Amino acid sequence: MTLTTNALKAALLASTLAIASTATAQEIKLGFNGDLSASPSAQSGQAGVLGIQAAIEDLNAAGGVLGKKLSLVVRDDLSQPPKSIQNMSDLIDSEKVVAVFGPTNSGNALAWKHIPNQRKNPSLGCIGSATDITKPAGGADNYMYRVSMVDRAQIAGIVAYTKNRPQSKNVGFLVETTGYGQGGLKDLEALAKAKGLTPVATEKFGVNDTDMTSQLNKMKSAGVDTVLVWAQGTPIAQLLRSMEKIDYSPVTLTSWAADNASFFDTAGKTLAERPIFMRTITEDRTPVQQKLYDRLAPKLTSKSAFSFSAHCYDATLILAAAIKQAGGTDGAKLKEALDNLQAPVAGIMKTYNKPFTPDQHEALTAADYRWTHWKDGKLVTYTDATVESLKPADYAE
Amino acid sequence: MLATYIQTLVSGLAIGGVYALIALSFSITFTTTKTMNFAQGEFISFGAFIGVAALLLLSGLAGGLTAIPGEAAAGWRYPAAALIATVVAGVMGVLIFLLAVRPFAGKRGMNWVMSTIGFGVILQSIGLTIWGPAPVMVPSPLGDGVLRIAGAGVRPQELIVLASAIAIMVIFDFVMRRTRIGKAMMAVAHSPQTASLMGINVNTVMIGAFALSSGLAGLAGVLIAPIASASLFMGLGFALKAFSGAIIGGLTNPRGCIYGGFILGVLESSVGLWQAQWKEIVVFSLIILVLAFRPQGLFGHASIDKV
Repeated sequence: MTLTTNALKAALLASTLAIASTATAQEIKLGFNGDLSASPSAQSGQAGVLGIQAAIEDLNAAGGVLGKKLSLVVRDDLSQPPKSIQNMSDLIDSEKVVAVFGPTNSGNALAWKHIPNQRKNPSLGCIGSATDITKPAGGADNYMYRVSMVDRAQIAGIVAYTKNRPQSKNVGFLVETTGYGQGGLKDLEALAKAKGLTPVATEKFGVNDTDMTSQLNKMKSAGVDTVLVWAQGTPIAQLLRSMEKIDYSPVTLTSWAADNASFFDTAGKTLAERPIFMRTITEDRTPVQQKLYDRLAPKLTSKSAFSFSAHCYDATLILAAAIKQAGGTDGAKLKEALDNLQAPVAGIMKTYNKPFTPDQHEALTAADYRWTHWKDGKLVTYTDATVESLKPADYAE
Repeated sequence: MLATYIQTLVSGLAIGGVYALIALSFSITFTTTKTMNFAQGEFISFGAFIGVAALLLLSGLAGGLTAIPGEAAAGWRYPAAALIATVVAGVMGVLIFLLAVRPFAGKRGMNWVMSTIGFGVILQSIGLTIWGPAPVMVPSPLGDGVLRIAGAGVRPQELIVLASAIAIMVIFDFVMRRTRIGKAMMAVAHSPQTASLMGINVNTVMIGAFALSSGLAGLAGVLIAPIASASLFMGLGFALKAFSGAIIGGLTNPRGCIYGGFILGVLESSVGLWQAQWKEIVVFSLIILVLAFRPQGLFGHASIDKV
């Protein structure tokens, strides 16, 4: 009696397992790991997931990849590094995803970048912009790729602008005292030095400071006519408000954090129009971008986060192309394919021709960025004589 | 050059007024109950959002995700919202006293430190659920234009903060030294047992102290919001600085706390004129020096008042 029931159970179990494994064999699982709810940048994470889902829909509608459908497993890391590390192991080891997109916050990628490298599981960043994310770590193979902005490339851009602007005689650096600001200052100093640009003043401020008039008065008396600012959105806004207090209006170039809605609201409409910065997408969208925008706009919690949808959409297409080229989902083979992608990928941002090489894991570089500023509450393309004079070679890092 | 120094002084006094107000709130509970609300930072943030909610409710306007329209703060609405935030925060102050402080007060150990911090964590989590993590820009009732005082620029809201802080302090000082309630509070501060024998209801005085202290924190939140944006994370930084100001001035002396807050604000902006990244180092070095040489604070001696 018990024997037969056990045999029956075993048979049932075996058949369920068989069904389960055939189901997964027909599917290629991708993962997303990033903040979707906890920090102010959660909106960027949500926009990124929308982009990946849209790309998966389009790829599946066209028959999938290698005859298999794609699916997405989403994990929220609440912007906490320990949670993000745990998600990474969970996605790769338990969910067996082929590759992971994200994270939202750069710091979390830096906390777990050893995991994709050890597990030979490619990670495609499409939100965080810290320079070091895609840098090789130790002697391990580098499985970290990115389709997004890179801090160092933006800094190369604003340094090039300053260098090429004949009226800019005295340059000052203004950075916040966080890791983000200090990392930016390191890049600013190195890239300015390479271009023979010497700042006459460097000043720092706290991320929660509401009055920077002391630092700005020093800049003013040093005759600084152009300031390069590396900080988050709200402190940049406070900086502009302090400039207004002491009646000081130098040319202001900033990090892309000035595209945040919180920057715009804190600075107010008039002051918000002052700084220029680099961004991948402005409101002057290409037809392809407009099409994706119209499709996702109802679901986007922040319109300015649309750029992350576009980056993540493209990252998904690039990964699909790599799977096709590798003829499977083996991590090492995928890396080989990503490092030397043969077929061009027509994405939302541009058509990618060999986006990566073994030493270069950035699909978008400064030449792909656009000069941006706020105009009437919208992020629009900025241009002047200096911008027009800039050639791709000027953006060299 | 003179304009630069005036700007430094004006900016320092403006931020110092905020520190002084919060430092005073620390002093009120410390002098009466020998305990403090370590969730004061969360009370500031919570107060700011109560103010935001009140402004939207009173004006009937819809707020955006990251800003509320300028008209919402016009006329009587801003003072009304400030009053509502003060009262709501005051009621929560009674709650924190009854739930998290009184069970542990007077007992050995520092359980009330942990329980007030815990109360703050709960408050912040509730706030995040209701309002989310994004900062909200709050308009100032007097607009956003820059006013010029002897060449130095200042925003109307900074003057409002400074004026409110000074007014509250003067009233508080008068109440403490001239009225029966103030004298009762000082008696409880001096010795709860003796005060109780003299027929003072010690428990009521302590509850009142927590309500007042928390109400001030809530008011501070509404006052700071148009300068720093309302955010659930904004309070902690201000509370820490204000606590430092209270230590410098002398936690046991309300007047000293106020001076300490202003000293800290002006010191910060002056250090910015020299090397801004040294600001925190200078501030906390000063605290260590004060604690080493005058543990009662710079103005701590004034606590020996006749009651």
